[in-house]
Amino acid sequence: MVTKEEILKIANLSKIYVSEDELESLTHDMAQIIAFADTVNAVSAGTQEFEGISGRSNILREDEVIPSYPREEILKNVGGGEDGYFPVKKKN
Amino acid sequence: MAKYEMVVGLETHVELSTKTKIFCGCTTAFGAKPNTNCCPICIGLPGTLPKLNRQVVHYAIKAGLATHCNIAEDARMDRKNYVYPDLPKAYQISQYDKPLCYGGYITLRSGKKIRITRIHIEEDAGKLVHDRGDTYVDYNRGGVPLIEIVSEPDIRSIEEAREYLENLQLIMKYIGVSDCKMQEGSLRCDVNLSLRPVGSDEMGTRAEIKNMNSFSNMEKAMQYEYERQAELLDNGEAVEQETRRFDVGSGCTESMRGKEDAQDYRYFREPDLVPIHTSPQTIQQLLQQLPELPDSRTKRYLEYGIAPADVASLVKYQAVARYFDEACQGVENPKTVSNLIVGQLFRRMPTDEEKETCTVAEKTAPAQLRELVQLLESGKIRMNLAKTTLETMLDTGKSPSQLLSAEDLSQVDDTALTEICRQVIADNPGNVADFLGGKEKALQPLIGAVMRATKGKADAKTAQKLLRELMACAQ
Ligand SMILES: [Zn+2]
Repeated sequence: MVTKEEILKIANLSKIYVSEDELESLTHDMAQIIAFADTVNAVSAGTQEFEGISGRSNILREDEVIPSYPREEILKNVGGGEDGYFPVKKKN
Repeated sequence: MAKYEMVVGLETHVELSTKTKIFCGCTTAFGAKPNTNCCPICIGLPGTLPKLNRQVVHYAIKAGLATHCNIAEDARMDRKNYVYPDLPKAYQISQYDKPLCYGGYITLRSGKKIRITRIHIEEDAGKLVHDRGDTYVDYNRGGVPLIEIVSEPDIRSIEEAREYLENLQLIMKYIGVSDCKMQEGSLRCDVNLSLRPVGSDEMGTRAEIKNMNSFSNMEKAMQYEYERQAELLDNGEAVEQETRRFDVGSGCTESMRGKEDAQDYRYFREPDLVPIHTSPQTIQQLLQQLPELPDSRTKRYLEYGIAPADVASLVKYQAVARYFDEACQGVENPKTVSNLIVGQLFRRMPTDEEKETCTVAEKTAPAQLRELVQLLESGKIRMNLAKTTLETMLDTGKSPSQLLSAEDLSQVDDTALTEICRQVIADNPGNVADFLGGKEKALQPLIGAVMRATKGKADAKTAQKLLRELMACAQ
């Protein structure tokens, strides 16, 4: 059972605004998602806790420097940034 | 007698000194231009996959072994979700219920053990720069590897908190996993503090003070928080469980967020990373790589008969301690070596930074100091000459054999010394009369004259004894 309050709490934690109209359908969807996850859990019961998807562990890389990206590339998605930074503007 | 006792646990973040970040090959070098040590992985672009740095796992295990922790055979990574601009993915990859290390401790001078709950690995967040209401983010630090060392609430005073943190810092520096510079943010700590009436063993409601970045700030914050909570309890009010920030300017702690909006991190397993399995062989290998740790060094040096204060100042700097150990090889009394190091070598390296790398070693090798001490122990030279020779060694980088002449190394036998003392008494009738008249001080210039006449080779104690005897006879 998923309550509207729980949906609002999760939305709040995720910084997502949910309108009153959406709340009803989201609550319904979330209940279905959880039911689906329960089904998956039931099927996968018996799997060892530490088995990854492939059953592998310790996929590690060596501590060797790889050149970073040019800053223009890094800041491309924020319109080139400001003075080399990612700007986070206050809402007006 | 204080009415309340403080109950404190510390969460310490230590930045690991790996060459690259925890999940990508970007450099961890400090002080680069903003956002120049970044790639799609560490700025959290969709479609990228993290790849765990082996050295991070090894450093964390070493930290665990050095603090008597158990190492988890199987550990895993989890996502800690929160939305804040310093975190580009809106989650931090950390460890939740399966940390790498657990169940250790750190011993204080009193013998008391402060238990360590766990040590886990995680990624650092980016740095926020605030300017006129706007915020600017630099992700160079984002993805730099951290270990978080969580203590049990075993600490009962500001002094214990300080000692715990100092020990932790020293251990991490000794094992080479971090430079632990508080001023550069590579060692930061959160303080969980509550009060209870003295004699009670119940736990009070605690407040968490975030991000202490210096020892003095931590102490001030703890003192303020103690007084604040004591006042609340005195007035019959409740302490709120909340997160507080220490304001350096005012010396106060202020509420950041209370229980009602306590963080719900919605931890879940990181699906992009496989579990970490640590074999007994790996643990054994890492154990063998650990150097002698501060506790064991301290114990050993105390057994040499060195004063506790001197032991502490030798152990505090690993490079100095190594220099000392090397200089002591084949020496009868290590205490002589420690006296010369603490008394004379330390004056040549007054700052912590200099002692940290033991800069005098560039001029005077440990073997040269050992040579000097061995001359002293074989009676070839006296302490006075040893001290002046050491100063010249430190000035010139020369060894004792280069500086001391055959004459310097010839010993003053007792017959010759008696003769010199007689001469000094004959030459200084004024001082002799003063001394015989009861002025103990008048002996000093006479001893000085003997030392000058023997070029410092005489043993001052023997000279004093001889002078007294000769003057008593002459009376
Ligand atoms: Zn990167």
